[in-house]
Amino acid sequence: MIEPFPSSGIDLPSPTLSARLRELGDYLAAPSVGRLTEEQRALALGIARRLIADIAAQLDVGIDAAALWSDWLRGGVPSAQRIAVACFARAEEHRWRGQIAQLGRETPTADDAGAEIAEDAAEAISSDVDRTALALRIADRRRFDGQGNPCIALVDLDADVRRALLLDVAAWQLARSSADVDGAALLGEAVRSAIEAAPNDHGIDHAAAAYRAALGPDIGRASAIAIARHDWPSLIALAAVETQRSYGAMAIALLTAEIASLPALLAPLGLDRRTIAPLEVSLAMLPARAVSGANAGDEPAARLAAFSSFDGLPGDGA
Amino acid sequence: MTTERIVRARIDQSGTLVSADTPLLRLQQRAGGGLDRPLALPQLARLVALAQRLGREVTRPLYAADDHSDIHAIVRILPDDDGANLEISDWRTRPIVDPQRSLAAGAISDPRGWTWECDQQLRLVALRSGSDAPPVPAGWEGRSLSEVFELQPDDDGNFPVLRALARQAHFEGQRVRIATPDARVGMALSGDPVFDGTRRFTGFRGSVAPFEASDEAVVAPATDPAFGSLPLSDPQFGRRIDGALRGPLSRIIATAETISGQFDGPIRADYARYAGDIAHAGRHLLGLVDDLADLQNIERPGFKAARDEIDLGDLARRAVGLLAMKAEEKNIRIDAPRKDDLMPATGEFRRVLQILLNLIGNAIRYSPDHSQIWIRLDRESDRATVTVADQGQGMSAEDQTVVFNKFERLGRTDGGGSGLGLYIARRLALAMDGDLAVDSAPGQGARFTLSLPARDG
Repeated sequence: MIEPFPSSGIDLPSPTLSARLRELGDYLAAPSVGRLTEEQRALALGIARRLIADIAAQLDVGIDAAALWSDWLRGGVPSAQRIAVACFARAEEHRWRGQIAQLGRETPTADDAGAEIAEDAAEAISSDVDRTALALRIADRRRFDGQGNPCIALVDLDADVRRALLLDVAAWQLARSSADVDGAALLGEAVRSAIEAAPNDHGIDHAAAAYRAALGPDIGRASAIAIARHDWPSLIALAAVETQRSYGAMAIALLTAEIASLPALLAPLGLDRRTIAPLEVSLAMLPARAVSGANAGDEPAARLAAFSSFDGLPGDGA
Repeated sequence: MTTERIVRARIDQSGTLVSADTPLLRLQQRAGGGLDRPLALPQLARLVALAQRLGREVTRPLYAADDHSDIHAIVRILPDDDGANLEISDWRTRPIVDPQRSLAAGAISDPRGWTWECDQQLRLVALRSGSDAPPVPAGWEGRSLSEVFELQPDDDGNFPVLRALARQAHFEGQRVRIATPDARVGMALSGDPVFDGTRRFTGFRGSVAPFEASDEAVVAPATDPAFGSLPLSDPQFGRRIDGALRGPLSRIIATAETISGQFDGPIRADYARYAGDIAHAGRHLLGLVDDLADLQNIERPGFKAARDEIDLGDLARRAVGLLAMKAEEKNIRIDAPRKDDLMPATGEFRRVLQILLNLIGNAIRYSPDHSQIWIRLDRESDRATVTVADQGQGMSAEDQTVVFNKFERLGRTDGGGSGLGLYIARRLALAMDGDLAVDSAPGQGARFTLSLPARDG
């Protein structure tokens, strides 16, 4: 009897077919689960591309980042699983923050009480708060490239992921110039120095912690102002410090939270329900949001949980 | 951007939008309306009212504009006893070109420049260099803009960035000097204001481009902010004039039509008439802008039209449908091809429709009342043709030699056209490997024949 399809153990004939069958398998396993939209896919892909280019530039040995990305697009990104969550978190944050520009006046803003909070914020603030708030904004702007596209600043990247990416990029370059012994030695040295280079203290997690420390007991008020102004980076930063998460982990926790669970998630900030309302509405209006909950025990959720664990601040030795 | 699908909507007897597909609903919302509220798009509301009054189907071009884009579409209104159904096809959106923004955007992509962002106190929060730009100075983070850049006044002694700060508005041409490791270089700063969710000003974001001696003219105070010092021959000029005029004109027309249609309540009849005149003049000017934009486009070296598979019979019927009301106003009968008359050809769908609208529109304009226009399809060897014949006053042999010339109006001085329509139509026909010819005699009407490569259907 002839088997209609190749049995297990036989290599599938093409990576495209293999990928599509995997995708179909995933789909059949959970048909009603929302998949990535084209926008989410494109944003995350762009963020990954810029991250790889930045890693290649950090090695500073004349790596052709365009050729590298082109190769990896065909054959797959070696550290795909490691960078997927970070790229997705950054992409979703960017979509959320872009919502206000796209919807303009249709976007809900603070109600009267919120507007009062925002107005009152014009009062004089301490120089420490001002300085650290500015540093937070500078750290946040590092998470965009020169054209305003979202990216992941290398100083914000998890050390293990950074190391893995450096090794992957170096391996690609080595394969490309295998005959060049001097080049290989130079590359090895570049990788070592890049890995050993301690991340500086300009990362967003460090800036968030400094801002929170400067605020002292005013953290609740600062959080309320951030919500009233739709200043999501400040809110994410403060909530991250208060819940002992990294900025990226807090962003994805907020972006995937059930609306009903927001008060509990932000409880450490001491905000009342009315203050949180503009945040609830804003998140509810974000299309194709991946709300967590039902599948908390599955593998992607486990990866998210791992991503969410607080691993200390870059440069703090934590 | 074009959407091929039909956008549908339903209006009730009182002119309220009761259902609408997303594109139209978004437009209605951006115009301040919504579902179960009166149609907030004046031109569309007027067409619906017209169709309901006449009790018959009306098909017309629809022009609308909002803060983001111009929208061109074709709307078909089917009135019934309880209201009307709307079918909108060929929905095309084109982003509004803001001349000031386009300058800034161009500079951002300049690899020799930098991009920057500051907070409301003009403290730098981002500074990046392009691939071919000098490196940014170290330690810029959080420093004042005027510390990092040495601001230079313009010829009137003003600082554009400071004026913009006071107005929280766009600025450009702020000359600055900056010390790089190699030398002190001159650059020009431009920026757009940034606002948060409560519309609170939070700073500027923009670009820094190299400032060369030849840039003096660009920042000279006598220069028009929309058109700069570009010569007429520069394609940028055409794009900017198009962007600068289209939006304001569309708004003038829409507002004048609202007043003329007395949608907000009755006004004096002569005022309504004046508003109608304003809308008419606005439409004429908009047509001229369209013609100039087309002219700029087709005279560009290497201009080529698309090669769509088209049916000249179908396109002729569409053109007649769009102009039927205009013909009816003069009691002109149009003998259009029957539904089963096919004439497969090759050409760009949109451009062929544009040519036919021009030919049939001219025929209506220059034909006497109660006359007839014929549209005939034919095939000669490898050429498919469509002929538009009228009973107008016709043309002499001398006029026929110049009728396709640019700005030629054969001595007419009325406000009917720019004198560019037939010139553009023929250029478009040639760009599609076709031709446009005229055959006429004084007192015997005119026959315009468009020929295109035939296709075996």
